[in-house]
Amino acid sequence: MDFLDEFPTMDRQELRELKKAIDLGFRNFSRAYGDALETFFEPLLYFMVWLEKLLIITPWPIIILVMGGLAWLGARSLLAVAGTVASFFVIGYFGMWEDTMATLAIISVATLICIVAGIPLGIWMAKSDRVQTVITPVLDVMQTIPSFVYLIPVVMLLGIGKVPGLLAVCIYAIPPIVRLTNLGIRLVDKEVLEAADAFGANYRQKLFDVQVPLALPNIFAGVNQTIMMSLAMVVIASMIGVRGLGVPVLRAISNQYLALGLMNGLAIVALAIIFDRISQNFGKRLQKHREGGHDV
Amino acid sequence: MKKLGMIAAFVAGFFVSANAHAACGSIKIAEMNWASAQLMANVDKIFLEKGYGCSVELVSGATMPTFTSMNEKGQPDVAPELWANAVRNPLKKAEDEGRLHSVNTAPITELGEGWWIPPQTAKKHPNLKTVLDILKHPELFPHPEDKSKGAFVGCPAGWGCQLVNANLFRAFDMKSKGWLLVDPGSAAGLDGSMAKAVERGQNWFGYYWSPTALIGKYNMVKVPFGVPFVGSKHWDGCIVKPEQDCANPKPSAWTKSAVYTVITDKLKKSSSAAANYLKSRVYPGKVMNGMLVYMQANQADGADAAAEFLKKHENIWKKWVPADVAAKIKG
Repeated sequence: MDFLDEFPTMDRQELRELKKAIDLGFRNFSRAYGDALETFFEPLLYFMVWLEKLLIITPWPIIILVMGGLAWLGARSLLAVAGTVASFFVIGYFGMWEDTMATLAIISVATLICIVAGIPLGIWMAKSDRVQTVITPVLDVMQTIPSFVYLIPVVMLLGIGKVPGLLAVCIYAIPPIVRLTNLGIRLVDKEVLEAADAFGANYRQKLFDVQVPLALPNIFAGVNQTIMMSLAMVVIASMIGVRGLGVPVLRAISNQYLALGLMNGLAIVALAIIFDRISQNFGKRLQKHREGGHDV
Repeated sequence: MKKLGMIAAFVAGFFVSANAHAACGSIKIAEMNWASAQLMANVDKIFLEKGYGCSVELVSGATMPTFTSMNEKGQPDVAPELWANAVRNPLKKAEDEGRLHSVNTAPITELGEGWWIPPQTAKKHPNLKTVLDILKHPELFPHPEDKSKGAFVGCPAGWGCQLVNANLFRAFDMKSKGWLLVDPGSAAGLDGSMAKAVERGQNWFGYYWSPTALIGKYNMVKVPFGVPFVGSKHWDGCIVKPEQDCANPKPSAWTKSAVYTVITDKLKKSSSAAANYLKSRVYPGKVMNGMLVYMQANQADGADAAAEFLKKHENIWKKWVPADVAAKIKG
């Protein structure tokens, strides 16, 4: 009956040896390839440092002007512009300007990388069912694995700072854009593709002139989600030494500074809402142009 | 019937052992909830039971609850590793009134907070003897994001030591000497940045504390500051405060962490032999760190670690007790 009462576990000694072996294996990997990886990411680091410095050095009126301009370009609504400008004024007035710029820098780079890597991956997934069956579970893992788990190996490999922080953000933020690109392309009507075939479109023409444009609303929903999720990772990234709005939040958590935590938390929310409205409205406007095009 | 018999046997056994241990009586030792204190509590249990014939019970504890209970109720009798800075004033009062006694004011040597470098750095650059020497060479510790500056890894945001490190950073005028203060963000970030540097053979300069498994595992070298401790008035009134409350911090060595072995008055009176043992047992910091590494690597609890300590470090514990007692421990 012992067998049923107690789960047959691995011997404690063996289990310990297994864990040790995994740790050792990773350590050897980190010793062998860590420096190479760091060199590989060096240009990215320089770009991020440059962007952050640029955002911080640029006089604040110019930043606000640019942000307002972006809001206008994206949303074409005076309300969005007014909201954006007002939020940045409040953020600056409460002394969170530099932290916000640092956060803005890492979020922009993270979003950029996610888009550049995510959209082709999504297209690849849409083209091949086998690729989809392989990548889907990987995306599931990336979205659900607790971030603290992969912070350890990332820090062992790359140390603390911007690049490991960026990696941690991207691991969490890239799945939505991949998924929604895949979905958008798969949802394109068969009839439309048949029509494209009938006109003699080749593979490239079909992809870039038919499928991707028709999938754009979905792809934009993915971009939007990616931005939101990377903002949600700001605090986690600060736990491995990324500057920005996450640092004061962490300080607030360990000292129970209610006001400090609330202010910086709300600044993250403000950034999120601004990005969300702009990108969503941009996506919607893209959709509007197509209305009446293929919808019967 | 079987149960009843067992209880009878247990009770009988209890009386027998109580008689045998009459010389010392029964003692309660606080087993704090961190590794080094658990090891010490278990080692004390073995010594007092085998060597001095006490009957020892370990009770789990933590700094504040254990101290409060000892102070108010006189129980448990021994706190092997009490971090006294947290209870400085009430402990002083209790000692003045003769209720508690700090029989050993340095049960672990070389302990405390400070600034550390990896052993390979110390070996490669023997001229870096003090913090003042290191501050002259920021180029040896390049900051990953700005190679022209040196990186000093301070405390994670929100820890008390963050303020101290930030103030010392200003006190030593490190900014103008070409240094940047790095906020590692969390305990994991601090541990990770140190571990990564040592594993890769890179230089690293930052804050840590001992006794810890990580210091022991990597044989980190604590760097003397090269300046004396500034005095508790300036330390408590300025260095530990936020920047706006400490306009002109002065360079200083880190304050000494007060770790004591504290016993109750009752124990001191009832068993001077036990008190004498507690007074003389001192763990060298290196040995303690090594034990912590052992505990972490093998997921050993206090009792396992105590057995390992007795087996491995006889040359150390032999000096704590007279030869006849040592023979009893070994036997």
